[in-house]
Amino acid sequence: MLGMSRAGLAERWTLFVGALLSVALGVALVQSSLLLLISAATFDPPPGVSEAERMQISDGATAAVSMLGVVLGGAVFLAGFVISSTFAFTVDQRRRDLALLRLVGGGRGHVRRLLLGEALLLGLAGAGLGIPAGLQVMALQAWLMRRFEFVPEGFTGQWRMWILGVSFGTGILLAVAGVLVAARRAARVRPLEALRESGPAARVMTAGRWIAGLIFLGGALALMIVAPHGGPSGGVAMAMNVAMPASVAVVAFAPLLVPLIARLMPVGGGVLGSLARASVRDARRRSASVAAPLIVLVALVVGNTAAGVSFTASGVDELKRTTHADFVVEGRGPAGAVPGVAAVSTELALPGEVTYGEGEYEEVVGASVLVVDPAAYSAIHGTPVTLAGRTAVAGPGGDVPRVGPVRLRLPGGDLGELPVTGSVPAALSGGASLLLPRGLVPEAQLAEASAVSFVALEPGADRAAVRAALARTGPVSDLDDWLRADAATRDDTNRKVMLIVLGLGGLYALIGVVNAIVIGAATRRREFAEARVTGLTRGQVIRAALLEAYAVTGAGLVLGALAAGGAFIAVLATTSAVTGTANLDIPWTLVGGVVLVALTVTGLTSLITSWSATRRAPVTLLAARE
Amino acid sequence: MLAVGTSGPLLHSVFLMTTTLTTTSNAISLYGVSRVFGRGAAAVHAVDDVTLEFPRGGWTAVMGPSGSGKSTLLHCAAGLEKVDSGRVLLGDADLTAASDAELTALRRTRIGFVFQSFNLIGALTAEQNVALPLRLAGQRPRRADVRATLDAVGLADRARHKPRELSGGQQQRVAIARAMVTRPEVLFADEPTGALDSTAARTVLDLMRAMADAGQSIVMVTHDPGAAARADSVVFLRDGRVVDMLAGATAHQVADRLAEWER
Repeated sequence: MLGMSRAGLAERWTLFVGALLSVALGVALVQSSLLLLISAATFDPPPGVSEAERMQISDGATAAVSMLGVVLGGAVFLAGFVISSTFAFTVDQRRRDLALLRLVGGGRGHVRRLLLGEALLLGLAGAGLGIPAGLQVMALQAWLMRRFEFVPEGFTGQWRMWILGVSFGTGILLAVAGVLVAARRAARVRPLEALRESGPAARVMTAGRWIAGLIFLGGALALMIVAPHGGPSGGVAMAMNVAMPASVAVVAFAPLLVPLIARLMPVGGGVLGSLARASVRDARRRSASVAAPLIVLVALVVGNTAAGVSFTASGVDELKRTTHADFVVEGRGPAGAVPGVAAVSTELALPGEVTYGEGEYEEVVGASVLVVDPAAYSAIHGTPVTLAGRTAVAGPGGDVPRVGPVRLRLPGGDLGELPVTGSVPAALSGGASLLLPRGLVPEAQLAEASAVSFVALEPGADRAAVRAALARTGPVSDLDDWLRADAATRDDTNRKVMLIVLGLGGLYALIGVVNAIVIGAATRRREFAEARVTGLTRGQVIRAALLEAYAVTGAGLVLGALAAGGAFIAVLATTSAVTGTANLDIPWTLVGGVVLVALTVTGLTSLITSWSATRRAPVTLLAARE
Repeated sequence: MLAVGTSGPLLHSVFLMTTTLTTTSNAISLYGVSRVFGRGAAAVHAVDDVTLEFPRGGWTAVMGPSGSGKSTLLHCAAGLEKVDSGRVLLGDADLTAASDAELTALRRTRIGFVFQSFNLIGALTAEQNVALPLRLAGQRPRRADVRATLDAVGLADRARHKPRELSGGQQQRVAIARAMVTRPEVLFADEPTGALDSTAARTVLDLMRAMADAGQSIVMVTHDPGAAARADSVVFLRDGRVVDMLAGATAHQVADRLAEWER
């Protein structure tokens, strides 16, 4: 069967280019992310750096490792998704070939083995292309990581010999797993279908699709329902994860939904418009295949970005409400001595390392520590804090247990074991993990801490005058401005991670769209030729195909927005539950960009493919058979 | 030797006469076979209670107007289409009761197909196409055997050509070679000359005549009286029923009879 697989691949290579590309890109991404992950995890800070820098570098490396973990997971998800949908579509377009094999005596096992053989060859070829490509991707990813300061200058990905085995294994596994469902389906092709010019359209909403769709819909709904009860960090994480299952659910139902929505798209009246509409309705499978990657693209990019932006804005709002201060002064000048000032909370931030749990449950986490004056902190932040002697309080950032003993190490010295005696409410925007009283940390260790002072004014004080006076002790900002800037800095890492993950995901999804259009057009030569002998000019055929592509793209974008809507609901519910005010910021510039890119890519691909599919005179196509 | 029967009174006696024969003397036997497409008011009886025996070692042509159900009848007889009622026997093997795997095995050992649109696999050369049924049956066909089969259809020198490099007549002869390589009990042919010019059609019909003379059972659907006249006997179908038969007729006689039934 491998010989036939090889002959099949050579003969209809245009059908397989897309599958090959997606396997190669999948292998490249997985290989690069894995090598970088190992390089980051085993990265030793260069000799001669201070302990504070060392802690920061290892904190950055931890962030890099978790970011690469997300990229790795995302790469596997998208590779699996794009490869399996490409294969499914390819197999669907070859029903006649497969039926022919059955007609001359091929059993169901033969069909399955033929397709698995093709997948094996594609997996090997994809890995062969993906391994060198992976080195380029690794250079790019490492550059991005250095640029975004996850890792210090001088960090590079290290090549490991065993990755060859992993990459070939990944290629074969992705391709073979991708074809499994399609092969099962193809084995059910009846031999008689080879004799029909256009067999009865295969049922597109299979039981498998219904089940997968309902399971992922259930998953998305569960996340949406539970997210508001997950507290600040759990709720944010759950809301950020709604888009993925929601998009898979919408994709599963795409053969039902896409034609329905595409019909509403304004593709114009006239003969071409109605032809395009009829095509979308008739070729439900093809329409759904083109729309599927678009749905995932829109849902992930728009859904997750909007969730991120909304949570940041909501976190700032929450802090504005809970912080009873007017100005923020950087540095530790004597702000309290300025006339007109009612209260000052000077807070010193230090990086640290917290150890908690015992035996094999022991965990060491990087944590930020805030040294405060309990009374002033309580007054400014509106939450009671009791700190006396050798005790600590869990801060608004979470990350450490809310009660019980922890060991704390700060740059320049170990503070030993401290009891955590209480906690302040966790905030949506995070913050310090531990609050410590001033006396606990030796002055020498505090010297390197960065300090800010929250300043509250006396009623009736002259804001301008106080501000001018404060400016002599250090740089002064309005509370609102400072909170926004601070949130932006803290969210920086998150945004960079999202940029890398979503950028790669978006690229992958776009390749999926191009694949689907190219595969669809490769098998439409005859249809185009029939339209032309019916009286349409070549230009009209190409225009009708373009209108159809736009109708399907429009439907894909709308359905992607529907899936993103699931994330929006989770964001509204979570922000409302955590901060008391529902908040949703939709990044309209990004939405516009995604729409523009999607329309450009599908439009161009459709133009090129239908132009090339109509190159030969229609009569030669209609006369020629296999 | 041909026996036909329908529920119509005209041929009832013929049917009664022949049912006493042992089934094994027939290549294919259909008993009360019906196939309905659609439901309710839209139901079409493509094959309507047909009883028909195709003799071993004979070439039978099936004719009829468009929509008379001749292709469906062929598909039912070959086990490609499930029947709604009745029985289909290949020799004494009951096709109506066979599982998908059993039908598949029959297709690669005891049944051969030739179709109007050739249906060769474009990715494979002529000789690979011919060898395919044997390879699907798990055999390692010897090149000499495959070449001999191609030689028998006069295409030994085209063995390494792909279908698109062959003319229509040549492609159809490759398809016949592919069908014959397993030495099937019955060769089913659905409009085998329908897509060919007259010269190519004659070559293909000559080839089939020679095969029938050598003892090959052939069932052929056609609308070309010239092609039907080359067969040993002709069965006429209308509205899914067998309405007439001829044996040893000329093309003219077949055409006249067909014209009568098309009126």
